[in-house]
Amino acid sequence: MSLPTADMNPGADGRLQPVRKPANHSLWGRAVARFAADRAAMVGLAIVAVFFVVALGVWLGWWGGNWAETTGGQWQPPSSEHWFGTTILGQDIFARAVFSTRTAFEIGLVVAIASTLLGALFGALSGYFAQTPVDAVILWLKGVLDSIPFYLFVAAIAFALDGNPWAMHIAMIATFWTTTARLVRGEVMKLKNLEFVEAARAMGLHPLVIIFRHIVPNTFHILLVQATIVFVAAIKSEVILSFLGLGVTDSVSWGLMIAESTTEVIAGHYMNFIAASSFLFALVMGFNLFSDGLQDALDPRRPGR
Amino acid sequence: MSEALLQVDRLSVDFATEAGTVRAVDDVSFSIRPGRTLGIVGESGCGKSVTSLALMGLLPRPAGRIATGSVRLGGVELTSLDERALRRLRGAELSMIFQEPMTALNPVYTIGAQIGAVLRRHERLSRRAARTRAIEMLERVGIPLPTRRIDEYPHELSGGMRQRAMIAMALSCRPKLLIADEPTTALDVTTQAQVLDQIAELQQELGTAVILVTHDLGVVAETCDDALVMYCGQVVEQAPTRVLFETPRHRYTEGLIAAIPKVRPQRLARLPVIPGTVPELAELPRGCRFAARCGFADETCISRQPALETLGRSRVACFHPAGEQAPSA
Amino acid sequence: MTGPLLEVRELARHFPVRAGLLGRSRQVLRAVDGVSFELQRGRTFGLVGESGCGKSTLGRAILRLHEPTSGRVLLDGVDITALDRAGLKRQRKHMQMIFQDPYASLSPRRTVDRILDEPLALHRFGDKAQRSRRVLELLDIVGLGPAARHRYPHEFSGGQRQRIGIARALAVEPKLIVADEAVSALDVSVQSQVLNLMADLQAEFGLSFVFISHDLAVVQHVSHVVGVMYLGKLVETAPVDRIYAMPAHPYTRALLDAVPVADPTRRDKRLVLSGEVPSPLDPPPGCPFHTRCPRAMPVCSSRVPRTIDIGENGRPHRVSCHLHDPDIGI
Repeated sequence: MSLPTADMNPGADGRLQPVRKPANHSLWGRAVARFAADRAAMVGLAIVAVFFVVALGVWLGWWGGNWAETTGGQWQPPSSEHWFGTTILGQDIFARAVFSTRTAFEIGLVVAIASTLLGALFGALSGYFAQTPVDAVILWLKGVLDSIPFYLFVAAIAFALDGNPWAMHIAMIATFWTTTARLVRGEVMKLKNLEFVEAARAMGLHPLVIIFRHIVPNTFHILLVQATIVFVAAIKSEVILSFLGLGVTDSVSWGLMIAESTTEVIAGHYMNFIAASSFLFALVMGFNLFSDGLQDALDPRRPGR
Repeated sequence: MSEALLQVDRLSVDFATEAGTVRAVDDVSFSIRPGRTLGIVGESGCGKSVTSLALMGLLPRPAGRIATGSVRLGGVELTSLDERALRRLRGAELSMIFQEPMTALNPVYTIGAQIGAVLRRHERLSRRAARTRAIEMLERVGIPLPTRRIDEYPHELSGGMRQRAMIAMALSCRPKLLIADEPTTALDVTTQAQVLDQIAELQQELGTAVILVTHDLGVVAETCDDALVMYCGQVVEQAPTRVLFETPRHRYTEGLIAAIPKVRPQRLARLPVIPGTVPELAELPRGCRFAARCGFADETCISRQPALETLGRSRVACFHPAGEQAPSA
Repeated sequence: MTGPLLEVRELARHFPVRAGLLGRSRQVLRAVDGVSFELQRGRTFGLVGESGCGKSTLGRAILRLHEPTSGRVLLDGVDITALDRAGLKRQRKHMQMIFQDPYASLSPRRTVDRILDEPLALHRFGDKAQRSRRVLELLDIVGLGPAARHRYPHEFSGGQRQRIGIARALAVEPKLIVADEAVSALDVSVQSQVLNLMADLQAEFGLSFVFISHDLAVVQHVSHVVGVMYLGKLVETAPVDRIYAMPAHPYTRALLDAVPVADPTRRDKRLVLSGEVPSPLDPPPGCPFHTRCPRAMPVCSSRVPRTIDIGENGRPHRVSCHLHDPDIGI
């Protein structure tokens, strides 16, 4: 035996340092690098960022605060003073569209965060306890909520809460979490058979600790993408609901602006409609690009581990 | 010596990764004569599977591409063929079987439909004639009740049966060359023995040349005429199988043979090991790629790359090859 | 404390399987079907068999990761199968597991530090500073440098990850470790490093292993006693030197014959078994192996063989085969 190595073990592996993987050493780091390399996604991110700054400015009172005031004459055409002209009441359309950005972000964020949390919670529980009564109850609840027509549901909640401004939010959260929960449930059912979950069980960890410390963090990529999708869905639904008179009542939103414009368009005044729908279009477009890029960047099956 | 069936000359394959382009296969040359079996052996990441995919023209696109070199099959240069011409060759002249037959077979078609499709495409057989040939092939690879199995779907067969079906499909057009990439790695030992015997038997009958890609030196010892040892994308040693096991020349080959746990009369207290790990392809050393793990490495090994040179009946890329002493272990 | 560390008695694990339309016809899959063996302190019991023979299920049933259907598991005299949840959690620090897949067995989004600290915190191994010292010590034991602790699993190679998995199992100072195909996913050169590490740990800490593998050569290398499983049953159990030198069960012999040998001068031999393992849903009557056995007799298809001890010098060698039953005779 000419091999000199027989007794160099275990130190033979040499006070092992981790195999050096180039650059970004966390999983997120690599996702960020991929995202940054995706031009469409970066454009989406830029659009969303601009809108976010606009919304932030409204919150901080920098601009848009004068949306309800009469600052000009009735139905003025676009000018340097009123970029998108004025409404029938002489309000600045641009200010209204800007303020509506805040409304949209408020609804989007509240609904996205709440329904993602609910979806993660119920999805994880029903996935881990699949085929048990816990799962059955959650699936039943999901089935019931999914089977009620959305607008009917909102109308019912709005009616039941008697004009409460949160009725729309509650209705959206109650319906939107189910999709997230379904996706998380599937992923958890896959993950719970992996060996690191068995290792956690072998250690003696409580099932809830296993679920929320070991399993759920591995569904973050789904949750993140799903949150952006819900965000867009919430904004679009708000527009439709407000248009139908079921949504925003004590503020202004793109949906209300479009509702107002229905009578104006006949009279030949398009600016309200154009302003609201182009803001909406740009934000939804931006968010969709962002969300697609996110999905690609976070996809664990992408080559180049 | 008869004419070589497959001649691979200085083949290099590049892969685009996030860390930049890496050379997964570096300057590999070998040839194989009709009816012979060549084993390509090495650990994961050594480039053995990439080599076989490159021969088939099946490198994942756009990440992988043949950088330099030539692959000639019976005088035809494969690297310059377009996709259509390659498709005509695949299945007919050269075919391939994979490690996991469950993923290599299409789950929505019956076994018979899949073998039939190959036969109808390459041999222009009628539906009925293709079915007859398919049944005949299934019988030859040792599948019991072939007339019934032919109408079953892949998931209805066991792992061993699926691998046999893959072999039947791969050999149905009597290819001149069969590339088998870890064909028995997913199988149990008793099934592995059956499948290896089956490949050998059909090879004898059809005169097919076989390239067997594997990490298992035991499989090489039992089935191959010649062997090629790869490390970090390069060929480090090449020899007739008997010679390779009797007098391994490269220190890596020697270590590898010693490190395999063997069913042996006397239990060893400790296994001989090769220290360290395989270097990443993105950060290869300048000199011999095995130097950092080699007990014989000196200044020369660290600064210069050894070339493949003839030594006895072997070809070896090592500055300090093992001598003529009797094989250890 | 004397007597064996681990006693497994008539352990069974059955899975109900729904089949047919609407899952109406219920069948029972007998993954583990009445297995008994014992394991001495500081020793390794090697469990071999082909895929689907129930060896992994047996390993998990011993640790109660799968709830056993019947039978008992005694660890140091404590009946694991009778414990309630709190009692089981306390016993968990005495029995740990090492897994097959070095890529799936570590939580991908946790650093090595947190992976190793978790069992320590759970089982109250001192305060934060003590646990932190212990983590470094564990890394040192398995041959990893201290720099490893702030890294994520994906930054390591397969062999290094397996070392982290071993460190996690060692963290709570267990007496028993079940290693399920612990080196099967590793390359040969790395595999031998990990096997040697496990041998060192056994010598140093007096660990006992149940070593599950399909690789007979690896099992021979690490085991003191070997059990061969077929269709949920242990068909032969014997000291390692005996079972490899004089396998008594025809299945053991066939398994040994089928192992490819890295020696091209020995291509002769080989008793290739015909057929495949029958479905455990519908095991053959009598001896489960009779459908493939080259030495099957008429009695084999009707009567289940008894387990007979053919050992010498007080070293038990148990085999379940009619060929060795003096009452049946050949």
